[in-house]
Amino acid sequence: MNSKGNTAASRGLAACHLCCKLAPQELHHCPRCGAAMHLRQPDSIQRTLALLVTACLLYIPANLYPIMYTDQLGTTETSTIIGGVLLLIDLGSVPVAVVIFIFSVMVPSGKLMAMFYLVWTVERHSPLNPRQRSVMYRVTEFIGKWSMIDVFVVAILAALVHLGGLLVIRPGIAALSFAGVVIVTMIAAESFDSRLIWDNMEDKNREH
Amino acid sequence: MSEEMACHGCDLLVDVSGLENGQRAACPRCGHFLTRYRADVYSRTTAYAVAALILLVLANSYSFLAFSASGMESVMTLRQTPAALWQYGMPGVALIVGAFIIAIPALVLLLLIALCIPLSLGIYRPWLVPVARGIFLAQNWAMVEVFIIGVIVSLVKIAAMATVSLGISFWAYAGFTVCFTLAVSTLDRYQCWQTLEELAAG
Repeated sequence: MNSKGNTAASRGLAACHLCCKLAPQELHHCPRCGAAMHLRQPDSIQRTLALLVTACLLYIPANLYPIMYTDQLGTTETSTIIGGVLLLIDLGSVPVAVVIFIFSVMVPSGKLMAMFYLVWTVERHSPLNPRQRSVMYRVTEFIGKWSMIDVFVVAILAALVHLGGLLVIRPGIAALSFAGVVIVTMIAAESFDSRLIWDNMEDKNREH
Repeated sequence: MSEEMACHGCDLLVDVSGLENGQRAACPRCGHFLTRYRADVYSRTTAYAVAALILLVLANSYSFLAFSASGMESVMTLRQTPAALWQYGMPGVALIVGAFIIAIPALVLLLLIALCIPLSLGIYRPWLVPVARGIFLAQNWAMVEVFIIGVIVSLVKIAAMATVSLGISFWAYAGFTVCFTLAVSTLDRYQCWQTLEELAAG
């Protein structure tokens, strides 16, 4: 297929990120919906990288500090994210432990690694399987908000379990940093422009 | 009017004219979903959104879960989920949770109804443009389906400690999750803006 002229950019058009309108690249605002128009997300790689580093920093207190306190008959038990998973396995609720492990441990760390990988391949103009990387990006983008499960669980338990001196569940500071990780990685995924993966291919084709 | 669309995932121009009712288009190069054409998209979306809004009101009116152990009982409502975080000195997380599970979904539903009723009747007003922008900006930040899974995980987590019973609100919220997801996924971004443009042009 002839690579010249089959993308919007090669025909001097930019697509509005909000309403999909195709308009000349010189315009600053979409003629249809009024949103700011850019050919590509401005400073996509730098912004994404900055947000990813922020998320990594937030991820440290999110794992070190307790996410939940359980006060039972005068004794206080603290649990971190990993601690909660281990406790569930001890209690025999393996399926729930797996769910929590997937969404609170694997998804956030996997998402960070996937985003770093995508940024890195775009930066070094890698020609490696762009379709696979596009799928990787879409999965990362889709799965992001599911990490909020653990924060919601803490919120629900704190609201529900308050039986005077008998049994009380309180939220811990890690809930804040973990919510921060989820939100910052969601913004990072939004600021990454997956069209950059394909722009590299276009440039390569033109050189030949 | 141009029926070409640039793929949001890879910028390839794809001709999306001539889609039949219910047919969806995906990018041939990167596989990204492009658009889906539905002749009755606005009346469908309105129906789902109105149902979801009624269920959300119900979910806010009754008890959500009840928890009892050793003769003591505590009952929670949906609103207490963020409120409890606030009381424990975490206003930041409280606001985030309240926004993701109640405020943003409610806002999206109101905007959907405000947009889709006029569009289903073929009426155009200039304020429909900011309404549509609001919908597409806010909808990514509604986390109702994540919350309902969170509720189920919480139930299993504490089932060993005590007896938990589900209130009317829980079932209302579960129904709300289904209707909300259907409403948001039915309204197609591309089709919606094409309609707005056609109506604006007269």
